[in-house]
Amino acid sequence: MSERNSDDAGKTLEVDLPVSSPAGEWHILSRRDFLKIVGVGASALALPQIVAVGVADAAPQAQTYGPNAKGMIIGDPTRCTGCRRCEIACTSFNDGKSQPALSRVKIVRNMNFGVRGEQGGAARGEGNYGNFLIVQETCRQCAHPVPCQLACPNGAIEIAGPVNARIINVDKCTGCQMCQAACPWAMTVFDAAKKKSSKCHLCNGDPECVKACPNSALRYVPWQDRSRDVAQRWSVPAYLSTPANVASTCVQCHK
Amino acid sequence: MAPLGGYQGKILRVDLSSGKITTEDTAKYKDYLGGTGLGYKILWDEVKPGTKAWDPENRIIFGVGPLTGSGSPLSGRTSITSLFPVNIQELPGTGHMGGQWGAELKFAGWDSLIIQGKADKPVWLYINDDKVEIRDAKHLWGNGVFRATAEISAEVGPEVQVAAIGQAGENLVRVSCVMCNRSHSAGGMGSVMGSKNLKAIAIKGTGAVQIAADKKAWKDFVYEYLSLIGANNQGVVPTTPQPWAEYYGATRWNAQKGQFWGAANPPVETGVCSADDLNKMGFRTHKGVLDHGDGPGQRHTVRGGGCHACPIRCHVYTDVPALETKYGVSRYNANTCIGNSFGKSFFDNLASGSEIAIEASQLGCALADDYGLWSDYGQFPRDILYAYRKGIIKAKLDPKEYDSIPWKLLDAGDPAWLLDIMKRITYKQGELGKLFADGPAFLEKKWPEIAQFHQTYESSCWKDAHAKHHSNENGGQVGTLINMMYNRDSQCHTHSNYLASGLPLAVQKEIGAELFGTPDAVDANNNYTKMNKGKAVFAKLSLVYLELHNSLTACNWTLPVWVSPRKDRKYRGDIAMESKALAMVTGETVSRADLEMTGMRILHLFRALTARYMNEKDMRKNHDKANEWVFEYPADKPALSAGVSRMDRADIELAKDLFYEEMGWDKATGMPTRATLEKAGLKYVADELAKQGLIA
Repeated sequence: MSERNSDDAGKTLEVDLPVSSPAGEWHILSRRDFLKIVGVGASALALPQIVAVGVADAAPQAQTYGPNAKGMIIGDPTRCTGCRRCEIACTSFNDGKSQPALSRVKIVRNMNFGVRGEQGGAARGEGNYGNFLIVQETCRQCAHPVPCQLACPNGAIEIAGPVNARIINVDKCTGCQMCQAACPWAMTVFDAAKKKSSKCHLCNGDPECVKACPNSALRYVPWQDRSRDVAQRWSVPAYLSTPANVASTCVQCHK
Repeated sequence: MAPLGGYQGKILRVDLSSGKITTEDTAKYKDYLGGTGLGYKILWDEVKPGTKAWDPENRIIFGVGPLTGSGSPLSGRTSITSLFPVNIQELPGTGHMGGQWGAELKFAGWDSLIIQGKADKPVWLYINDDKVEIRDAKHLWGNGVFRATAEISAEVGPEVQVAAIGQAGENLVRVSCVMCNRSHSAGGMGSVMGSKNLKAIAIKGTGAVQIAADKKAWKDFVYEYLSLIGANNQGVVPTTPQPWAEYYGATRWNAQKGQFWGAANPPVETGVCSADDLNKMGFRTHKGVLDHGDGPGQRHTVRGGGCHACPIRCHVYTDVPALETKYGVSRYNANTCIGNSFGKSFFDNLASGSEIAIEASQLGCALADDYGLWSDYGQFPRDILYAYRKGIIKAKLDPKEYDSIPWKLLDAGDPAWLLDIMKRITYKQGELGKLFADGPAFLEKKWPEIAQFHQTYESSCWKDAHAKHHSNENGGQVGTLINMMYNRDSQCHTHSNYLASGLPLAVQKEIGAELFGTPDAVDANNNYTKMNKGKAVFAKLSLVYLELHNSLTACNWTLPVWVSPRKDRKYRGDIAMESKALAMVTGETVSRADLEMTGMRILHLFRALTARYMNEKDMRKNHDKANEWVFEYPADKPALSAGVSRMDRADIELAKDLFYEEMGWDKATGMPTRATLEKAGLKYVADELAKQGLIA
């Protein structure tokens, strides 16, 4: 699972290490597991340079710049048939349970009446009760400044390899759900059983949802900024503004 | 019961008479899995013989099972079990619906839903996770399924999954259904909801279905399972020669280059869908082409569709703009198979594969799916047509009523005929509306001409005025036995899926020998050999897996995977996939033998339940029947000869002997024996049957 545990990752290494398994699949291993596999002590280990640029814990000045993601998931609504095997794959293969509310790829909320909901009117809008178009929603893996990351009061949303996904460090996450309020596309989710937020972590560049789609309606493509041309689901409330300790650092670049 | 993998641990019970909402511990019912097994158990325990379908004391059980919502392949189905209003004796039966509703019930935290009693005014039920409310449906009553769904969605949010009845169910039309997710229907059950003043059940579920197995092991299993699945009805070879395929045959794997979902914008090509490409499974079956013909089928198909967790998209979603301008209904409609032929079946003069035929088909969907009118597998439209063409309707109806019916539209092959006839039946208008609303079984009691018609091949009627459904044309004696078992049209596809794989007969026989003990269990289509033990095993396993599918739940319209598209496995599937899936999801040890015993238990219970409501000792003679034509059509060729599906009476008596023996049922009566019932953990059933004098 790509969500991180701080006690597994040491202080010097903020991120999990992606390693290639014999089957060629990517897995995230904790540092401890990694050390077990390579059979050497931490001091002797030259670690690959995977940079986490996160908001440091309660730092007076929190740097928020982060590299862009390397990939992103996009959907082709004309191919989606609403089977929801992507939602199933997302949570079954990442979380060990089938739970669409926790899925980081969103199908069901647009399935019946489309993006505009029932207000579009039956047979006039999208979805199963309209013109049958099902618009899949996926995380944009936003460019800096990342709205969910900025909104997190605990610096729990971090940018981590191998594909620089914006992921949630479950140890820092307190389940306050501010990230859910901050995402204009409503793509962060909340695991009520764990009392932790979650979001799309791109499965280390090999997304389960993409692999699961029986209609090739989801694709994993090189990242580009799609935050400006994809309609937002809602407006982020005004009370969610850049924290002062972050804002004060913006001028370092934005002169 | 503490929540386990797959199960949520509790079943919801709503008494509409008292308004009481309670829960049951799932553990009490685990021997019956869920779904239809649970439904039979609840009927046995709680609904006394003599109860009628519309009595408040009747239960309607919306059954889902441990696999529903788990994401196990093809697990999106719901089995709605109750006393079946279309059956002349209102014996127990199940309507099966797919869509998203069943999975949502699980996500809301419920292993099934039992409804009893009768509300004193129209209501709808809102299940919002563990918050369950009975709400006023005054504003919904009298409206169609689509408006009810839209209004409920406007009230509580668009992501709610709604199962509703239309005016047909409200008006106690027996041929009515429960609808969900636009195109999914549970046949025959609409009026049971209507009799309870229950308009709709809407669910929002945010919870999880737990998977007990390790994530990686579960993932590997799911992809292995998917690799064994072919197209709709488990066709495992393509219909046309394809570069990747060794064989081709008559299947529903009809995707090919140059074939499109033509009304997608822009059009989407189904293209080459090889067996190893799991990311194209959803294109393998182009149901538009199958149901509407190649031209209109491609031209008007927006996309495929279907149930939760299923990569096989057996529903087709169409855009027929003429529906708006010519008939004033939505241009967008969806359905599959008989749902799509329903509208057409009110005519005998539409050119197959024509534009006018797809208009009739989709106008039929627009009306029937909104009224919640049920096709009864095509039986009642066939009866109307016959009665009209033979002048029976003219002879029976008051001339004033007869003349008020626009027969000229039917004669002209004008789909607008449906606007009149479907409304007439939904609202029970006039004598004709009332008679046909009651369905074929009640009709044939009033019109003996129809009873005679039902004995002929042309009627497609099997027994007790129920339609044939994969009967003697599918496996000869196997399909015959299966069609004798139920109290509605038989809904078994286990055998027909096996026989529709498209594999060469030699391969079917080879795999058949492994499954049923002898290659002779499998015959060439319409060239049937005499009954043998292998066919009895084939019939038994078909029924066992049907009941298991309807209880787990899993889709019997494509499963089981007794064959597969995988050449590397010599086209073998794996008969143990259902038990493996159940073991992985629940974390319990479940062998194939364990699960098949559960299937047998469910079948025995259904059998006992039917006998108890019939108060019948001789099921062999009085329940397991077939209409005359089965043994007499065609008249010019002998039974069991080449080119016919005609059965032989003595041979079918032998078939019953061998089948009852496999089932552990008494040969003379067809009743489960005490020993069989006790072995299956049904001693209480044996005791009750004995008390009623139905078994020794």
